[in-house]
Amino acid sequence: MWGLNLPIVLALAAIGGVLAWRRAHTLVWLLYTGGALWAFFRFGFAVPIPQSVVTIYLGITVLALVSYASSSRERLAETVQPIQRLILEPRYRLALAGLLVALPGLAAYNAYADLTMPLEAPGFGREIHPPPPTELTVHDETIDMATAENPYLHYKHDDPELYGKHVENGRRVYYENCFWCHGDGMGGDGMFAHGLNPVPSNFNDVGTLPALQSSFVHWRIAKGGPGMPAGGTPWDSAMPAWEKFLTTEEMWDVNLFIYDFNGYEPRALGQH
Amino acid sequence: MTAHTMRRTRTAATFATAALILALPAVAQVDLGTEEQRAAGKVVYDKYCGQCHGDTGDGNGYATPRVKPKPRDFTTGTYKFRTTPNGMLPTDDDLRRIIEIGAPYTSMPGWPNLTSAEIQNVIYYIKSFSSDFENPDRYGEPIEIPRPLESTEESVARGRVVYEEQGCGSCHGEVGRGDGASAPTLVNDKGDPIRAADLTQRWTYRGGPTKEDIYRTFSTGLNGTPMPSYADSLEVEDRQHLVNYVYSLGDGDDPNYGTLITAVYSEEPIDLQDEETLDALFESAPMTRFPLVGQITEPGRNFFPPVTSIEAQAVYNRDEIAFRVRWHDLRADTSGRNNPSLEVPMWDEDNGIGGDAADDSGDDFFGDFGGEEAPAEDDFFGDSGDDFFGDGGDDFFGTADAGAGGAEFSDAVALQFPASLAPEETPELKPYFLYGDAQNPVDLWFVNLTYGVADTFRGRGSDSIEPTEADVVEAVSSYDQGAWTVTYKRRRSSRAGVSFAEEQYTPLAFSVWDGFNRERGNKRALSSWFYVYTEPSVEQAVAGPVLRAALIVLAIELLVVFLVRRRARQKAADEEASGATLTAGEAPAV
Repeated sequence: MWGLNLPIVLALAAIGGVLAWRRAHTLVWLLYTGGALWAFFRFGFAVPIPQSVVTIYLGITVLALVSYASSSRERLAETVQPIQRLILEPRYRLALAGLLVALPGLAAYNAYADLTMPLEAPGFGREIHPPPPTELTVHDETIDMATAENPYLHYKHDDPELYGKHVENGRRVYYENCFWCHGDGMGGDGMFAHGLNPVPSNFNDVGTLPALQSSFVHWRIAKGGPGMPAGGTPWDSAMPAWEKFLTTEEMWDVNLFIYDFNGYEPRALGQH
Repeated sequence: MTAHTMRRTRTAATFATAALILALPAVAQVDLGTEEQRAAGKVVYDKYCGQCHGDTGDGNGYATPRVKPKPRDFTTGTYKFRTTPNGMLPTDDDLRRIIEIGAPYTSMPGWPNLTSAEIQNVIYYIKSFSSDFENPDRYGEPIEIPRPLESTEESVARGRVVYEEQGCGSCHGEVGRGDGASAPTLVNDKGDPIRAADLTQRWTYRGGPTKEDIYRTFSTGLNGTPMPSYADSLEVEDRQHLVNYVYSLGDGDDPNYGTLITAVYSEEPIDLQDEETLDALFESAPMTRFPLVGQITEPGRNFFPPVTSIEAQAVYNRDEIAFRVRWHDLRADTSGRNNPSLEVPMWDEDNGIGGDAADDSGDDFFGDFGGEEAPAEDDFFGDSGDDFFGDGGDDFFGTADAGAGGAEFSDAVALQFPASLAPEETPELKPYFLYGDAQNPVDLWFVNLTYGVADTFRGRGSDSIEPTEADVVEAVSSYDQGAWTVTYKRRRSSRAGVSFAEEQYTPLAFSVWDGFNRERGNKRALSSWFYVYTEPSVEQAVAGPVLRAALIVLAIELLVVFLVRRRARQKAADEEASGATLTAGEAPAV
């Protein structure tokens, strides 16, 4: 669900719940937050985040945790107090010795794993929904992206029969052109999806179609990968510029169909 | 009653009982569901199935002209994947299995989102398309699938003998790469071209990759296809040995697609003409398999590329770098033409009907074949592609003579590199993966396998591909039992293109053209951008960095312990000096 690896996310949340219930110490919370975020970035997503991006996220996390811990004299004192006790009190001597051995061991293992781990291709972040232009010209027709809507959407209430015809035409267009990548059920898992990077959009996702205006979807359909700004890494996207293959009506129809199939409505104008 | 008649009566009774027992399960199997269930199934079907299988179940949906293998025509009552004997109808569980998990590397996906009840309803609805399901005679008891035999050397050897005796290789090829002599001519009973499975790529088996799946296919056959049942011709045990042999041909359970080739360093010279040394050189280089999919972004789309993956390796020495790629193709097409920018007419996007009989649509062949095979222009530009391709396949294929000559288009392969590496401030920048773009061109190392030599092209987009001679790229190629191997070599430094420095990640993409599938120009199988990493020539020691990491952490720890303790001591001394006392419960202040 939502591209998350639910068992991991739930397990992390459960540990957090236990800590809250036991009123854990500040230091424990800090360690938990750091560890849980690491685990979340590393294992929490169905499609793994590239290691380089995880490293950036973790850097930010550590910075945030350090600044939290040192935000006041009292909090800092409270945070380091267990560490001081560990170092000073004789009854923790054994634990201290263990830690003195364990941490360098961990660092050594980490260095070893780094050196011997199978290489992976460099990964780069990309904007999934890059900012659209203010105007869009498709087949000599220019629309204002902020105010344009799917011209057939209103038939849903005004003329259901005509609406059904447009949806059916969209269905034809979709299954003649789109499902190889976006999938029969629109899960972004078509028979070619495994060979593409970035992966095709998942239209079942509640965070995708409902969050977008139909004009945005029209822009993505008409101009495809090559029409994206650099932030969307247009050179990697296999999304065709459908204006090369389809009429404007066909593009609006398939736009209508993918919303209808999933039972979603486009984000309304001016809604944020 | 005499003894004689008594015996006869008893015999008759036995027969009757036997017949009853035999008939019972068959009768029990006829389960067409209730009207409500079928109506509920229709709702699911219309939403999820009709686009391919057709709203009337005839296998003629919107997607049909552009998918291969073709969607099942439910009106025929012919089903490939069954546990029931050859020619029989599938059980509900057989249908459920395919609906749940799909058929890999076809356009039939699994439907994990459907509930068990929804699947059952849709099964009832699907069965209503064919009256065969009302006929008890068409039902058979599911076969028994025994536990697989242990895969001993003897078992595999026996399986191999069976494989040869039964002539499996005539379709599947001698070593199982789907390249048997008759592979190019295979059609199903609707006349649609069909491919023999590549037994080495188990993950693409339509009926499933397990030993039980393979045994089932041997024992029940695939109805409507040239794959027969061996239930009558092979003992159970021989089928089990055959399973072990076929399994042993496989390249693992899954394709393990990678994203990176590691180019390894060698002191040896790279000589493309010295086959033995070259093979030895590549022996040490790790092999990565990359997924290929149809080019469906630019006009000249390829909706059903038969080649679904390519394996690649790389080695380099002081001056040169060599790449080796390998992929499976059911036939070497080495007489036609091909190049990256050959035009593909719009109608030919759908026209991947598989045989070179379709060649006659090309101008060159038009005259040679006579009008009969040449489709009239009207067909192509008729109201929709469906009509043409729906029945066109038979005609085309019927006149195919795959053995007689080569295809119009030859097999080909290309490596693609950016013409220059991304600038440091935008490391993510690459040329468009489809032949580059105006700002960021690509270089193609293209080998038309008719000639087997490398031609270099500079691509600035699909409509701007020019030959270039800035760098000399050499290539050798070979085709052996269904596998193409092409080895490239170039100097590491380039005057006009990308240079391969040590410890550099260089973007790389692949294209493969199957001439048999009429692939040329933009109609090809391709990959997204991947990388080749030129491994450092000097092996990095592991002990040093590991020890350093441990020592640094230890030093920091000791420092912290020392500082904390010194501070505590100082504090105690200060307090003693000032005469204050530390009460037991009080924590030491910072």
